[in-house]
Amino acid sequence: MQTTPETEAEILQERAFRILKTVIDPELYVNIIDLGLVYEVVFAPGLVQVKMTLSTPHCPLGEAIVGRVDEVMSGEFPDRETVVTLVWEPAWTPEMITEAGKRAL
Amino acid sequence: MSEINVSKAPPLRVVVPFYATGALFFLVLAVLMFLSANDLTGHYFSPHLLAIVHTAVLGWGTMVIFGAAYELLPVLCENNLYSNRLAGCSYVLLLIGLALLIPAFWSFSAGTGMIAGGSFVLAATLCYVLNVLFTSTIDDSHGLHQKFLVTSALWLLVTVTLGLCLAINLRYPFMTRNHLDIMKFHAHAGIGGWFLQLITGVSIKLVPMFLVAKNAKTTWLNAAWILQNAGLALFLLDGHLTGSADRDLLYAGITALGIAAWLWYINDARHNRLRKRIDIPMKLTLSSFVFIVAAILLIPVAQSSVQPKWVLMYGTLLFLGCLTSLILGQTFKTLPFIVWNEISRRSRVISLPRDLYSETLLRCQQYLYYAAVASLLAGMLLASTTTVSIALVLWVLLALIYVANVFKILFHLTNTRHANDA
Repeated sequence: MQTTPETEAEILQERAFRILKTVIDPELYVNIIDLGLVYEVVFAPGLVQVKMTLSTPHCPLGEAIVGRVDEVMSGEFPDRETVVTLVWEPAWTPEMITEAGKRAL
Repeated sequence: MSEINVSKAPPLRVVVPFYATGALFFLVLAVLMFLSANDLTGHYFSPHLLAIVHTAVLGWGTMVIFGAAYELLPVLCENNLYSNRLAGCSYVLLLIGLALLIPAFWSFSAGTGMIAGGSFVLAATLCYVLNVLFTSTIDDSHGLHQKFLVTSALWLLVTVTLGLCLAINLRYPFMTRNHLDIMKFHAHAGIGGWFLQLITGVSIKLVPMFLVAKNAKTTWLNAAWILQNAGLALFLLDGHLTGSADRDLLYAGITALGIAAWLWYINDARHNRLRKRIDIPMKLTLSSFVFIVAAILLIPVAQSSVQPKWVLMYGTLLFLGCLTSLILGQTFKTLPFIVWNEISRRSRVISLPRDLYSETLLRCQQYLYYAAVASLLAGMLLASTTTVSIALVLWVLLALIYVANVFKILFHLTNTRHANDA
């Protein structure tokens, strides 16, 4: 069955979120999706953009986390360029952690 | 890839020497204590105790704190560290200062060595203070933790300046006041200014972060800063101007209220945490707050009693209790991450920071630490040299375990380098 464009977008989103769940915060040992650090994943022709934040600006582990996001997304979508954009608005708060994330903590 | 506010931590070569040297000084401290069992049940003004205290506060405490501060200042101030070169200078100067100062105290040879040692420590302090002042970005949008960091650095400058004056005064007497009075000011500027305010500033930012606490109430933090500084400043001014100790308890009370306001915030963060499991490093960190409360409760006893053991127990609770438990814990909350960050830059990340050290050694360290501090306090209280001697063996074992675990973390850097070379 041929999928509609909307469904294709949903599949891409699902693949992106599934692979991003393999990126673990090295301090909290919880994945970045359940921590609520990923705000948005946008697909465009030849491009995938991840808008995310860190639990605090100037986080010393920021480079490692962002690098790992870039690495897993490039591996999952080799035909697209991965762009990871860090944003600080809205600022991350513990309320953004999912129920699964809270259980893992 | 975004470059915004990422990877602003100073290079590894700036931070790691402080941790490695601090760990070795902890071992030196334990050995010096082991060699001075009799001094630990006598009067606190003795050459060996002066050497031990300065090994603890400068070689162990300040050395590790400088290293951790250079790593954490960018996080705490949301700004790049002002100067890696100044940080490197502070390490070299502090190390030379300690190499001169500690033997001079041990043999109590007042003169060139002691004065030169104090001067090097003062130069190291100036490097640190400049780095803190130029890195901090105090404005309304940034928290009170920066205010605490800045005032703690300034109090360190006061402490070290007074210390150098005391070293000069021993060889070339120029002070009109009693040497022990000035020593009291020197010690309390260090305890209530440098250590207390640094611990307060760092903990109000990091404890909620490590415990993933939500909505910790910051209502009393401003009062904590005012009360801690007011209590200490009044104690020093009144003591200096009137030469009287009559109101010391009042000033201790004001400072204690400042400590209570800070601990109320920490307890609120602990209460509202999402991270239910508290790991060993955070348990040790939280214990340090219990030690500081115990030390405060001992102040009236130490003040009113003529027996020197209470002053010794007060100092033990502060340096080997509060300060040491904090460093023993926070080493494993910072160093593995610093090293892991570097390894992940060099190669694909496979392990996690917690895999870099031995959990078993950390657990042994925790139990051994509580046993060592409890037996030492018991030995002092009962004036039992046997108990103190047993405690000092435990301190040496504790230091060996700590050093082994710290160097286990650091050796991963060498291993990764060799693996990459191969």
